[in-house]
Amino acid sequence: MESDYAIIGGGVVGLSIAWGLLKRGRSVTVLDGDDGSFRASRGNFGLVWVQSKGMNQPRYARWSQESAAAWADHAAELGDATGHDMGLRQDGGLTLFFSEDEMEKTVSDYETLKAKLDGNYPYEILGGNALRREEPHIGPSVIGAILHHQDGHTNPLRLLQSLAQDVRRLGGTVLTGKQITGVEKTDLFRLTCADGTEIRAAKTVLSAGLGAIDLGPKMGFKAPIRPQRGQVLITEKMPKIINRPSLIARQVDEGGIQIGATNEEVDFNDDVTQDGIAHLAADAVNAYPILGKVNLIRSWGALRILSPDGLPIYQESAAMPGAFLVTCHSGVTLSAAHARFLPDWLEGNANAPDLEVFSEARFS
Amino acid sequence: MYDLIVIGAGPAGMAAARRAADLGLTVLILDEQSRSGGQIYRDVERAALLRGEILGKDYTDGIDLARGLDHPGITHAASASVWQIEDGYRVYYTQNGAGKTAAAKRLLIATGALERPMPIPGWTLPGVMTAGAAQILLKQSGMVAERAVLAGAGPLLYLVAAQMVKAGAPPLALVETQTGGDFRRALKYLPGALRGWPYLMKGKDMLAALRRAGVPRHTGATGLRVEGGDRAEALVFNAGGRQHKIEARTVLLHHGVVPHIQAARSIGIPHRWNAQQQCFAPEHDETGRTAIDTVFIAGDGAGIGGAKAAAIAGRISALSIAQDLERITAADCRRESRPLQASLNRELAVRPFLDTAYPPYKEALSPDDATIVCRCEEVTAGDIRRYAGMGCLGPNQAKAFGRSGMGPCQGRYCGLTVTALLAAANGKTPDETGYYRIRPPIKPVTLGELAATAQRKGK
Repeated sequence: MESDYAIIGGGVVGLSIAWGLLKRGRSVTVLDGDDGSFRASRGNFGLVWVQSKGMNQPRYARWSQESAAAWADHAAELGDATGHDMGLRQDGGLTLFFSEDEMEKTVSDYETLKAKLDGNYPYEILGGNALRREEPHIGPSVIGAILHHQDGHTNPLRLLQSLAQDVRRLGGTVLTGKQITGVEKTDLFRLTCADGTEIRAAKTVLSAGLGAIDLGPKMGFKAPIRPQRGQVLITEKMPKIINRPSLIARQVDEGGIQIGATNEEVDFNDDVTQDGIAHLAADAVNAYPILGKVNLIRSWGALRILSPDGLPIYQESAAMPGAFLVTCHSGVTLSAAHARFLPDWLEGNANAPDLEVFSEARFS
Repeated sequence: MYDLIVIGAGPAGMAAARRAADLGLTVLILDEQSRSGGQIYRDVERAALLRGEILGKDYTDGIDLARGLDHPGITHAASASVWQIEDGYRVYYTQNGAGKTAAAKRLLIATGALERPMPIPGWTLPGVMTAGAAQILLKQSGMVAERAVLAGAGPLLYLVAAQMVKAGAPPLALVETQTGGDFRRALKYLPGALRGWPYLMKGKDMLAALRRAGVPRHTGATGLRVEGGDRAEALVFNAGGRQHKIEARTVLLHHGVVPHIQAARSIGIPHRWNAQQQCFAPEHDETGRTAIDTVFIAGDGAGIGGAKAAAIAGRISALSIAQDLERITAADCRRESRPLQASLNRELAVRPFLDTAYPPYKEALSPDDATIVCRCEEVTAGDIRRYAGMGCLGPNQAKAFGRSGMGPCQGRYCGLTVTALLAAANGKTPDETGYYRIRPPIKPVTLGELAATAQRKGK
């Protein structure tokens, strides 16, 4: 089988790129894992998020903003093609504060970033009363919030499903249950799988999440990434009680309250722990006391894909030109950018986004 | 710290708790119901006095087991639903609205069986329930479904029908899905089954009672569907070369029971597909010990064997646990286990015959596209097949696409169907296809109850 592109990894990142390339008339084969693979795409929190990103690297803040701004079209186009509602809401997101000091520090950081972004950082500070007008169920221990107008959230599982469906509709080949065992390049890339499948392609994108730890070095990348566990909760479906999402809780379009998330360095362990979920529950009830009476339905653990500085990596291989590493923590937020802007970078077009700061050159 | 925590106060759990306590172990037995007995001996200490005649001797036999929990070494936590089990072994549960926790050196999972869901067209209409649920109503509150039709396959169907006859409300009909071919295939197991001849005799007696009561029986039924607008109005099926329609506002479905595996799955105990019983069962050795050295499983949760087998298996596990904790010697453990093992084998001898003679209803194992398989999220069999076409090799991917198994039942009622549908669509075995990854809470818990168990710590 021969295509213009072989995409290694069929999660939100790989499928977004595949979708974008297919829209430009390229032929694409996506190689995906199995039912037990670590899949950030089905464990994430569903935020389309700008605030607090790129505090030390304004390009990352801008890249997130560019993607968030393209999300409405992205969701509409996918929705029209598949009949699914992406559940996208972009009317702002909240960071909740429990002390004045904490809030002041964050505001000062946001001001610094705002200056670097030429003033494009629309946020406002909500005091306790203003916040309670917006979110009547906020508890007394929350003293205020920052409302950032570029934030929002979506239904990440419907995004995944829609991408999986539309990539096929557009003529992409998606092979599942594949484990890549070898990558070679002569005039074409030749990818071999554990089950004997062989794929040939002119270019290859490695977007396999944590799978890049093993595969990256074989393709000439440093791929210095690591797993970080996040445990997440979801409750029974409720009438509307939370308007805007925060990093603590959001109400999904189906009605459940999603509560997140732990940050744990526990290697490749995606278990749920009692300590983890009990503290998530306690923090959520502290912020929204009404949640105390709500039934927890499910919890899960998923692994984030983190680089040392938390920023994405976009790198073409020096050893194997035509092979690209794409990896990031925020696959949902960046889905629009990956579908709409990244193909220009992969194709080497003049209007390609400038992703120089995200290269592996930053890792010595 | 207890020596042993038992989850489930059915026959296996009750028997194990008592045997362990007699050997000097401290035991905590946790159970969801307000009184011991499990499903089979539900509320037996009370109901046996009120309705023992209707429910029969097999039911009242549970009284001794239930009374056995009255022992100084046993703490019986009733109305306790376990939501999480952690290494060590620490169990988290809710009792009377409060989140609680307890730890033990050994854990025995005795969570029993649940009825195999029977997804046929119309099964989600009000008025349709499982035969087992109807029986629980009878045990617990003496309520009998009037003018009901029973449909499916298996000994429990006969038992419930016979109990309804005794209670003065015979079912309108028994619509059975097993065929003559199933019976002929089962005959090769008959010699073995004769070791369990009391079961076969009981079956014969029940059928005779149904005949005397004039309850019509249809066998080899296919094409079962429940018709109705707002609720069940009739059961329609084909049998004997023609279509039948029985008007009924209550339809009781049953086609066997399967191990209740959520607790065992949640701590990662390996499971294997049992082709004869058409379900997953946890792997364990002859004493019930699992791949996790300190965790045992006994009773129907370990593989379907019935109440008597469950009680024996519970005792065998208790002995092995007592030996682990050095309350009895290996020699004593062997001496007492050997005859128990022999009687367990006798109890299990009838299973291959029963499993083959009363297989699950084929059309409910692979429902037509329009039939709902996940009731919580209203996902149809056709949806699941479509997800297979979109690359879903296993139920966890299908769950992400279509929400099957994401509802309050945690996949208890759709798990086997979804695995079977994906396996068939992908041309794989159930073992290759796998099962939902079961995560806490294995029973719903409020965030408040959960939060109350958070250990204080500096952030």
